[in-house]
Amino acid sequence: METTTEIRSEGVPIPKSGADRHVKTFGTEIWNFLISLKLAIWTLILLAVTSILGTVVEQNQPLEKYQQVYEDWAYNLIVRFNLFDMYHSWWFLFLLCLFALNLTCCTVDRFPRAVRAVRRPKLILDEATEKSIGLAERWKNKGTVPQLAKSYKNALSRSFAAPRITETEGTVHLYAEKGVVSRFGAYATHVGILIIFIGAILGNLFGFKSHMNIPDGAQGSHIDIRGGKEHVDLPFAVRNNRFWMETYPNGQPKEYSSDLSVIENGREVVRKTITVNDPLVYKGIWFYQSSYGQATATAQLSVIRPDGTPLGSFSLPANEPARIEGYGVIRGVAYEENFQGKGPALKVAVEKGGRSATEFWIPKGGFDLDRRRGDSAVISFGGLTSSMYTGLQVAKDPGVNVVWLGCLLLTAGMMVSFFGSHRRIWIRLSEAQKGKVEITAAGTTNRNRPAFEKAFAAVLIEIRKESPDKTKEIAA
Amino acid sequence: MNTLNVHLFDLTTFLFGTATGSYVAALYGRKESLARIGTWICIAAAVVSTAAIGVRWAESYRMGIGRVPVTNLYESLVFFAWSINLFYLIVERKYGNRSFGAFVVPIAFLAMAFAFTIESGIQPLVPALQSYWLHAHVITCFAGYAAFAISAGVAAMYLLKERRGGDKTPGGVLAMFPGTRVLDDLVYKSIAWGFPLLTAGIITGAAWANFAWGTYWSWDPKETWSLIVWLVYAAFLHARVTRGWHGKRAAVLSIAGFAATLFCYLGVNLVLSGLHSYGG
Ligand code: HEM
Repeated sequence: METTTEIRSEGVPIPKSGADRHVKTFGTEIWNFLISLKLAIWTLILLAVTSILGTVVEQNQPLEKYQQVYEDWAYNLIVRFNLFDMYHSWWFLFLLCLFALNLTCCTVDRFPRAVRAVRRPKLILDEATEKSIGLAERWKNKGTVPQLAKSYKNALSRSFAAPRITETEGTVHLYAEKGVVSRFGAYATHVGILIIFIGAILGNLFGFKSHMNIPDGAQGSHIDIRGGKEHVDLPFAVRNNRFWMETYPNGQPKEYSSDLSVIENGREVVRKTITVNDPLVYKGIWFYQSSYGQATATAQLSVIRPDGTPLGSFSLPANEPARIEGYGVIRGVAYEENFQGKGPALKVAVEKGGRSATEFWIPKGGFDLDRRRGDSAVISFGGLTSSMYTGLQVAKDPGVNVVWLGCLLLTAGMMVSFFGSHRRIWIRLSEAQKGKVEITAAGTTNRNRPAFEKAFAAVLIEIRKESPDKTKEIAA
Repeated sequence: MNTLNVHLFDLTTFLFGTATGSYVAALYGRKESLARIGTWICIAAAVVSTAAIGVRWAESYRMGIGRVPVTNLYESLVFFAWSINLFYLIVERKYGNRSFGAFVVPIAFLAMAFAFTIESGIQPLVPALQSYWLHAHVITCFAGYAAFAISAGVAAMYLLKERRGGDKTPGGVLAMFPGTRVLDDLVYKSIAWGFPLLTAGIITGAAWANFAWGTYWSWDPKETWSLIVWLVYAAFLHARVTRGWHGKRAAVLSIAGFAATLFCYLGVNLVLSGLHSYGG
C-alpha cells in the first residue's frame, strides 16, 4: 500500500493536451490497463493455474496415445487447445506475451519517475509532509538557528547520514537519506525477468539439442536435430577414446565417464574426461554424458591370395557386406564362442560374380586354418571386438548466458528490495520567540518500520545531546 | 537398517508431537506455562535434529559414500522440519508471543511423521545426483518451503482473527494472538524470506539441469510446479501493494501458495510422474 501510493504521489500528472480528447482517453485507458498491478496479479494467477494442465496431461506424446487414453470430448479439447504441448501453445504464449508487455509498460511508466524522485528528493519538511508522516517529534531549544543547524548537521552525519541543507526565510531544513538503492530492487527484478525471456527466445531461435552415439575409438561430427528433420555438421569431430562405468560395492552405478577428444583439422585440440555432471564445451557446443550401450560387434578379417599377396584387412560389422576387389562380397552371418569345441569361429557368406552365396566357418587363428578350402583367396579371422558406445547429449544454446545474467539481476534485485529500505529523516529549525528555536524532526521508511523506529529514536537521542548551550539550559 | 541418526530423528518426531500438544493445550486452556514447555521442547528438538543431521553426515562418510544429507525424500523432509523449527523459534523470540506454535509446529511434526513411515537408509547417489548444484538446490528450496509454512500458519491465524472482528475481539483464545496488523506483517515477512530462497532454489535447480542434461528448463512436472508456487507468491507480493487486495485476500494467497508448495513437494511425486529422485 505504502509503496504504491508514495510512488504515485511523486509522479507527474498525465498530460491532458491533445485535440481529440476521446481518442486520448481511450489510449490512456489502454495504457492504464497495461501498467496496472491488477493485470499483473491476474496474469500471474492465470499463468499459475493454466500451467497445472500441462503437468496433468502428459506432454509431447504421439496423438494416438491421447486418443486411446482420453474420452472423445477430452481428446478434442486436448487437440483444440494444444494441450499435448501446452507450454508452446498459442494461448499460453499469448499469456506470456501479455505478462511481458505488462511488465515492460509498468517499468517504462514508473522507472523514470522513480529516478526523478530520487534525484530530486523532497528537501523541505512542509506542513503536508509533516502530517503524512507518522513519525515526528517537536521540541524547543535555546540558541540560534544557524548554531543549532551546524551542530545538528554533525550529529545527523554521525548517527545516520550526511544531510543536505536548505534555507527558506529564516527556516533551515536538514534532509538525510539512506538506502536509496532499495527503491530500484523491484526494477532490477523485473528487468531480470525480461532478460531471462530474451535469453530463452535466443536459445529457441539459434540453439539446438540433439544426441549422438559414438563407439569406443570412433568419432562423430554429424548430428540430427528437430527430430531428424534437419542435420548439422559440426566444424570439428568428437572422438570417444573410451567409455567406462564405475559401480558402488552394491553394484549400483556410481559414475559414467567418457574420455573425449575434439579433433579439428586432423589434430586433437582438446581432450577431456566428461562425467554426468561435468560436460565438455567446445566452441559453444556442449557435450553431456547422457547414456551408453553396447556397440555392435565387428569381426576382424584379413584376406590374402594363396601366394601371400595381401588383398586387405576389414572390420566387418554383423551382416553388412564388404567388397573385396578381385574376390567377391563377404558378410559375417554367425558367430560362435566355442565352435565344435575348438574356440571362437565366424561363419561368413561369400558371393562371387553373381553366383549364389557359399557359407563356411572360419575358426579364429592364422591363414592356414582357411587354406584347405582351396579358394582363390585365404581368409583369417582375428576375432570379434565388441565395444561400448557413449551416448552424448549435444546442445548449443547461445541464450544460456543471457538467462544466467537475468537470474543474477533478478536475485540481486530481490535481495535489495526485500532486505534494504529507503529511510529518510528531516529536521526543521525555525526561530521561535525569546531566543528559542523550534525544532521538528520527522522520519519515514518504505519498509521495516519497527527497525526504523528504533533507529530514529537513537538519532533523536544523539541530536538532543548536541545542544550547544546545554550549560545555559541548565543555568536558566 | 536402523542406525543412530534414524533413532535421533525418531526422537525428534516424538518431541515435535509433544510440543504440538503443549502449544495446542496452552491455547485451549489459556495457560502460558504450557506454551513455555512447548518452547523448551522445540529447543530440545532443534538440538536433537541438528545432531541427527550431523551424525547422518558422518555415517555416510563411514559408509564410503560421504555427502551432505539433503538428497532424498527422507533427508529433505527432516531438513524441512528442521528449518521450520528454527524459523519458528526465531519468530517466537522476536515477537514474544507463543500462540504461533499451535499453527506452525504441527507442520514440522507432520513432516517428521511422514518421514517416519518411509525408507530412511543412507543410499549411495546415482551419477546424476552428484552435483554441488543439487545440494544448493535442495537447501534453498526447502528453507524457502519452511518460510512458506510459517507464513501459511500465521495467515490462518490472521483469517481466524479477522473473521471474528479483528482486534476488537473480546477475550477468548483469539485474544492471545498478536494483533491483525502484526499477523499480516509476519505473513508478508516470512514470504519476503521464502521468496528469494525459492527463487535461488529454482535457479540452482536450473543450473544443475543445465550441467547434467543440457537444458535449464524442460517443463517437467516438478519444475512446472515450482514455477506455479513461485507465481502464486509473486501474485501475493503484488497483491499486498494493491488497493483491495491486501489483508484477507493476501492471506488467502499465502495459504494457496503453501498448498501449491506441498503439492510441488509431495503431490507431484505421489500423483504425477517426473525426473526427480526424492519420490517415494
Ligand atoms: C513473476 C513476476 C514478477 C516478480 C518475481 C516480481 C517481483 C517483484 C518484487 C520482488 C517486488 C518487490 C516487492 C516488495 O517490495 O514487496 C516487486 C514489486 C513490484 N512489482 Fe513486480 N514482479 C513480477 C511481476 C510484475 C509485473 C508483471 C508487474 C506489472 C505491473 C509488476 C509490478 C510491480 C510493482 C508496481 C511493484 C512495486 C514497485 C515498487 O515498489 O517500486 N511486477 N515485484
